[in-house]
Amino acid sequence: MAEILGAEVDEEGYLLKVSDWTADIAQAMSEEDGIELSPEHWEVINFLQEYYEEYEFAPAVRVLTKAIAKKLGNDKGNSRYLYSLFPYGPAKQGCRFAGLPKPTGCV
Amino acid sequence: MSLISIFLIFFFYVSALIFISGLSYKLIQYRRTPAPLKIPIAPSALDKKGVLLRYFREIFLFASLFKANKWTWLFGWSFHLALVLLFFRHLVYFWPGEVPLILYKTESLKYAAYPLIFGLLGLLARRVFVDRIRYISAPSDYLMLLVFIFIALTGMMMTFANYHPNILMVKNFASGLITFKWSELPGEIIFVFHILPVFCIIAIFPLSKLLHAPGVFFAPTFNQVDNARKKRHLSDWASKKEDNLEINLESKNLKDK
Amino acid sequence: MSTDNQIKLPTYVETPSIRKDSMAGDGPFKASVEIQNKLGFPGEKVENWQQVAINKMAETKSKYKSVQVFLDSCMKCGACTDKCHYFLGTADPKNMPVARQDLFRSVYRRHFTFAGKYFPRLVGAKDFDEDMLNDWYNYFHQCSQCRRCAVFCPSGIDTAEISMAAREVMNVIGVGQKYTNQILGKVKKIGNNLGMPEPALKDTLMDLEEEIKEDTGVDVKLPIDIKNSEILMVSPSADFFAEPHIDGLIGYAKVFHESGVSWTLSSYASEAANFGMFIGNYDVMREGALRIRKAALDLNVKRVIIGECGHAWRVAYSFWNTLSGIGTGAEDEYAMRLQNQLDSQYPQPQHMIEFTYDLIKNNKLTFEKSNNDHRVVTFHDSCNVARGSNMGDIENGQFILPREVIKAACNNFIDMPKNTIKSSTFCCGGGAGLLTDDLIDLRIKGAKPRMHALRKSEQESGVNTLAAICAICKSQFSKVLPNYDFDPYMVVSVHQLVSDAIVLSESLKQKD
Ligand code: SF4
Ligand code: SF4
Repeated sequence: MAEILGAEVDEEGYLLKVSDWTADIAQAMSEEDGIELSPEHWEVINFLQEYYEEYEFAPAVRVLTKAIAKKLGNDKGNSRYLYSLFPYGPAKQGCRFAGLPKPTGCV
Repeated sequence: MSLISIFLIFFFYVSALIFISGLSYKLIQYRRTPAPLKIPIAPSALDKKGVLLRYFREIFLFASLFKANKWTWLFGWSFHLALVLLFFRHLVYFWPGEVPLILYKTESLKYAAYPLIFGLLGLLARRVFVDRIRYISAPSDYLMLLVFIFIALTGMMMTFANYHPNILMVKNFASGLITFKWSELPGEIIFVFHILPVFCIIAIFPLSKLLHAPGVFFAPTFNQVDNARKKRHLSDWASKKEDNLEINLESKNLKDK
Repeated sequence: MSTDNQIKLPTYVETPSIRKDSMAGDGPFKASVEIQNKLGFPGEKVENWQQVAINKMAETKSKYKSVQVFLDSCMKCGACTDKCHYFLGTADPKNMPVARQDLFRSVYRRHFTFAGKYFPRLVGAKDFDEDMLNDWYNYFHQCSQCRRCAVFCPSGIDTAEISMAAREVMNVIGVGQKYTNQILGKVKKIGNNLGMPEPALKDTLMDLEEEIKEDTGVDVKLPIDIKNSEILMVSPSADFFAEPHIDGLIGYAKVFHESGVSWTLSSYASEAANFGMFIGNYDVMREGALRIRKAALDLNVKRVIIGECGHAWRVAYSFWNTLSGIGTGAEDEYAMRLQNQLDSQYPQPQHMIEFTYDLIKNNKLTFEKSNNDHRVVTFHDSCNVARGSNMGDIENGQFILPREVIKAACNNFIDMPKNTIKSSTFCCGGGAGLLTDDLIDLRIKGAKPRMHALRKSEQESGVNTLAAICAICKSQFSKVLPNYDFDPYMVVSVHQLVSDAIVLSESLKQKD
């Protein structure tokens, strides 16, 4: 099994255990993807984690964009903006950085 | 009777036996195998009449093939059509006793040999020159075309070139096979070369891809009516799964309206 | 349109010369022990796998007429060889439908036919060895079971049937695909492909209600688990989660609202998709269908309607009546128990498009079509809808109805080139369990024929919007469009177009 900073990940790079997550892991993952984590990235990551804590599930992209709109302003509350932060998709890449399991299904 | 005549007569019955038993086995197998789900393929027929129409288009016009590839269609269709015409043309030889008048009128069908050979050569050329088709071809695929070409050529030589066999002997031999009144082959060796591969084809029919002929009638994609919503379609093995009417899935609390 | 082009390129993508092994490889990620076991499959490749596989092949061909007949009746005419989008996009000859079938057929011939037992070389019969299994896994996961090849086969051979059978055999020997099987496990446990638990689902629906209220000022509801509703709506779970799917869901809600008919979603059956079809497993597929049956019974609904999901509609339309009795015209006790409850005046199940179309025909909906005037719309026929179902119970209804719904909501509609739509439609490239990141290379290449057709329509008619009625198509297109220099946001649900143009009667009253 592959690891990142000592934490086990699956073949697609998602943490096997949510509890293994640390900010350093997010940092390391983003470096691998060639992304520099900005405060905006962290807003997204934090929201994903909060939501996950409550629902044991990642928020729908729509729910995420609305939450981000509230936090960062309406001009940033859209999926185009989120994709500019997370080119591989806010749900998939965002969840990976946040240590959450990969959303599956027709998404 | 000559040894070769005896051999060919024997070979014919062996082929016929393989053909009949092999094909019956396959037909029964196809018939018995259930089709548990409705899988008609577009353009699907919404009723039985539609299914008949579809088969008409597929069997007589090769409609799907026409959509797919005009060259293959042209070669394939001429070949098959010619084959049918030539079958009727050959009936006169096999007809035992008094031959009905209509069969004497099939004389001109002999020209079907040209589209036959045209189609076969075209199909062979595609197999040889189109890389995709070359890739999917097994030795048997070439062999089968070559055998058909051989049959066609020998037949044409006997008809259009100066290799006519003794027609009366041909007729006696051929109809003798049907009536079990065996008689000697005509002396011309070309006749043997013509019928021997035909008997081979008869024998391998139920063992080879020639099964596409009966197979097409059993393809659920073609023969099913697209009415799954209106009529419950259930195969035997699938219906057994319903013996336990109550499904043991957990219940949920549902709000009342 | 240059007719010249049409003659030269009958499929619009030039048929490539074959490039052997260009897509060779080990295939997508394999399912873990845990994932496999959840579905009742062995977790790892079983010891005597060859024997188990051969036995399973024997069983499958004795249970499925399609498999038995198709294995025998291919005449190697080659008509299908240039019909598969994966072949056109990759040039790997094993992606030619007949060559894909031959992976299965060569083993069948070796073990089950006289010719293959005694003259294997002559007829291309092969042993089931490691290499063959590897090819099976790799290339049966490069087939989206789209059935385009079947439309052109003179024998009516449907490669998808072989592909499903092959996946079933592989699962039984313990070689399963991670993406599909993991999702099936989630449906089993939670009820949808996403694994979205009930609270998250309910919260999302509430969010959407708020959003509609903000946008329109009207209280459009997205009810869930409401007993005795008229309609049970089953949509693909991607509609609750992904973009642009979710706008389609909003569209359904608005249409239902305008119709005045009561409707509900179900948290127990919160998934229309049924990946059981992809792995050719009757029981898994049936289990999915039974969830819907149970929800329909428990909620005591009169009608069942399916949202925009391609293969879900095929399963619902063609298989549900068989699998779980959701339909009409049954004569057995089991199915009648449900069918007596359902209202037989309506087709059961029904597609959302059919529902909307009926309202449009009866002048029950008003549209402000100019809302969509910035769009030049084209429609992507999803394979499973186009080739495996019908709508409206009229000939070609599955092509007519969606287009009529679009035209009712939009002024500018243009079809893509003729041989890339309707029954000849090209797959989006992501169907049948291939919509996974580990197959992204294949997905991009497989989308090529569709992208070429789209480019043509873009250049000739200014098409800027691609409407679809399938969750997989929408996700796949959103992902691959940028690779072909298109805007990923040009993909919309058909019901998003409806949603954008529909006039809610209450908002009119409010204005007065
Ligand atoms: S079903 Fe579709 S993907 Fe599979 S071989 Fe046929 S055309 Fe290709
Ligand atoms: S079109 Fe049908 S019969 Fe012809 S090669 Fe393909 S699968 Fe075989």
